[in-house]
Amino acid sequence: MPSDKSSAPRQIGGELVIPVIAVAYTIYFFSSIWNSPWTAQVSAFLVGGILLTVCAIFFLRSAIWLRRGQGTLGFGNLVTRDDIRTGRIGLFATTVAYVVFIDRLGFTLTTFLFLALSMLILAKGRNPAFILMISALMSLTGWAVFIWAFDTRFPRGWFETTMNAVLTNG
Amino acid sequence: MDSSTASILAEVFLETLSFWYVIIPTIFLGLIVGAIPGFSAANTIIILMPLTLAMDLQTGLIFMISLYCSARMGAGIPAILVNIPGTAGAAATPLDGYPMAKQGKGQQALAISFVASCIGGLLTTLIALATMPILARVGFYMHSVEMIVVMLFGISLIASIAAQDMVKGLIAGFLGLMIGSIGTDVVYATPRGTFGFLELYDGVPLIPALVGLFAVSEAFVIIEKRVIISREAGVNKASWHATFEGVSIALKRWWHIVWTSIIGLVIGVIPGAGASIASFVAYQQSRSFSKTPELYGTGHPEGLIAPESANNGVTSGTLVPLLVLGIPGGATAAIMLVVMQFHGVSFGPSLFENQPKVGYGMFMAMAVSYFIMFFTILPLSRYMSGVTTIPTIYLAPMIISFTLVGGFVPREYMFDMYLALAFGVLGYIARRTGYHVAAILIGVILGPLLEKYFLWSLKKSDGDIMVLFSSTLGNILWVAFAASIILPIVFGMRRKRRSEVPIQ
Repeated sequence: MPSDKSSAPRQIGGELVIPVIAVAYTIYFFSSIWNSPWTAQVSAFLVGGILLTVCAIFFLRSAIWLRRGQGTLGFGNLVTRDDIRTGRIGLFATTVAYVVFIDRLGFTLTTFLFLALSMLILAKGRNPAFILMISALMSLTGWAVFIWAFDTRFPRGWFETTMNAVLTNG
Repeated sequence: MDSSTASILAEVFLETLSFWYVIIPTIFLGLIVGAIPGFSAANTIIILMPLTLAMDLQTGLIFMISLYCSARMGAGIPAILVNIPGTAGAAATPLDGYPMAKQGKGQQALAISFVASCIGGLLTTLIALATMPILARVGFYMHSVEMIVVMLFGISLIASIAAQDMVKGLIAGFLGLMIGSIGTDVVYATPRGTFGFLELYDGVPLIPALVGLFAVSEAFVIIEKRVIISREAGVNKASWHATFEGVSIALKRWWHIVWTSIIGLVIGVIPGAGASIASFVAYQQSRSFSKTPELYGTGHPEGLIAPESANNGVTSGTLVPLLVLGIPGGATAAIMLVVMQFHGVSFGPSLFENQPKVGYGMFMAMAVSYFIMFFTILPLSRYMSGVTTIPTIYLAPMIISFTLVGGFVPREYMFDMYLALAFGVLGYIARRTGYHVAAILIGVILGPLLEKYFLWSLKKSDGDIMVLFSSTLGNILWVAFAASIILPIVFGMRRKRRSEVPIQ
């Protein structure tokens, strides 16, 4: 099939990430069951074997594309400068921070900080008052519904402890 | 059905209807908990267990059943509007629901989903009521061999999803199956692929996988756009017209609702099989026998009707083994069993002789809940669809925070939040590079179940693989499975030939 010269070359580097993860993980999985009873091995070897075969086909196909000049080893479909412009990198950083700090600061405070920071990053600093208000409203609603009303065991910090003391002791 | 049973049913129906003041608020509670990943009907009932036990038996049962039905329906709402299934049972819903929302047909899609869910749920409740003794036997005939074929019906959906690029689709599906193999094996409890994390010894928890693959990755993708609706679709002002159009589309496909909901009912009757299997199987079968299979995945109403009517068909199915045999068909049914035992209810055929109002009352509560839901939820589709017009700069962080913490809820391990984040990164890479996250999730959900039944079969037969073809029902299912794979190909070729004739 003739290649479409007008279209941008396929970013095969990005497409190879999942198969590479799959191959690395399958090899690790096999190593973890190498000396196990057959019951632990049979299905994993079957599924993993097929996965390795399909990945090999994909690697072969990618090599053919590269040789024909139909694609490059670029990662443009995965990481671009736009990720900084759109705030995606910032959002990812705040998400990681959210998961790290929620256990220490508790659900309500961490959610407020996460929402406010993320929204400010994505909105490029516009409407700070509205963003702070909506972040406070959402985190307090979350606290009221999930922790106060339903007593769900969300991660708790000083805010939840204080509110619990206030509500219990009046 | 004799006249005494009919009079009991009529009496119970009217009695249940008089509990509208319990049912309506519970429906809204169910919609909320169903829509947030991690908050299923089961754990909400557990949280509210003290309240349920304090109620009298009838009120408690009506409360639990209304919550169960509405949570099932609620799970489909975020699946359609923001590509985030509330529970694993709604994992097949976004395949066609979300493309509709992106095309500006979110309101229509919600109306289709509500009609399919209500009619599917109502119909299967009535069928379950009428055929209870027969249905109860299904569980006895479905052994590990037969279950392998049922699982394969669901897993074959991976191949359909992979239709555009078979190699990438298969990589996604088999990677999902491999991830699903994490944990100890079912026979000797040997840990496999756990990276040394004790939290993974029970296998990969479904909610963090669901949250990561769908919600977190979607949030990182949608920020590229101002709102979820595509620019070409435009932001139309909500009107009742779209709701009525959705109702009309669903009603025109009434036969589709009927047979896919029956798939849900039959799968629901099998203890251990759940709504996720039912919705995958129904979606795959719907696509296989459709005249327009190429439209599936692009926002086809039939692709939305199938999983929604099937997962609501499961709700009535799970009640059958619970009431007739005392075997709960799922987590929610197991909690109902505890509450009923607390109130001194005995299960089995004697239930319908000694306490017919309790036995029939549960089905009637389900029927009445679906009936009331139809009129209370349908008008809301107009307002709910507004979610797709919220600017993504506000929506994306809200999705991330509330779903990540939802990943924490089922097991209360901080590890699960990190796991959800890891799945989010995997899902994001998959989306950006053309791998289907639904194919990964199907593998994660169905992989461990398939392995479990496969190993049980092999253990029973001392490793003889021919055990897979040793039962009559199993062989019938194998033939049906082969037919469901081959016939669509034959039909497709015939359609192609017919369409080529006029051109020639």
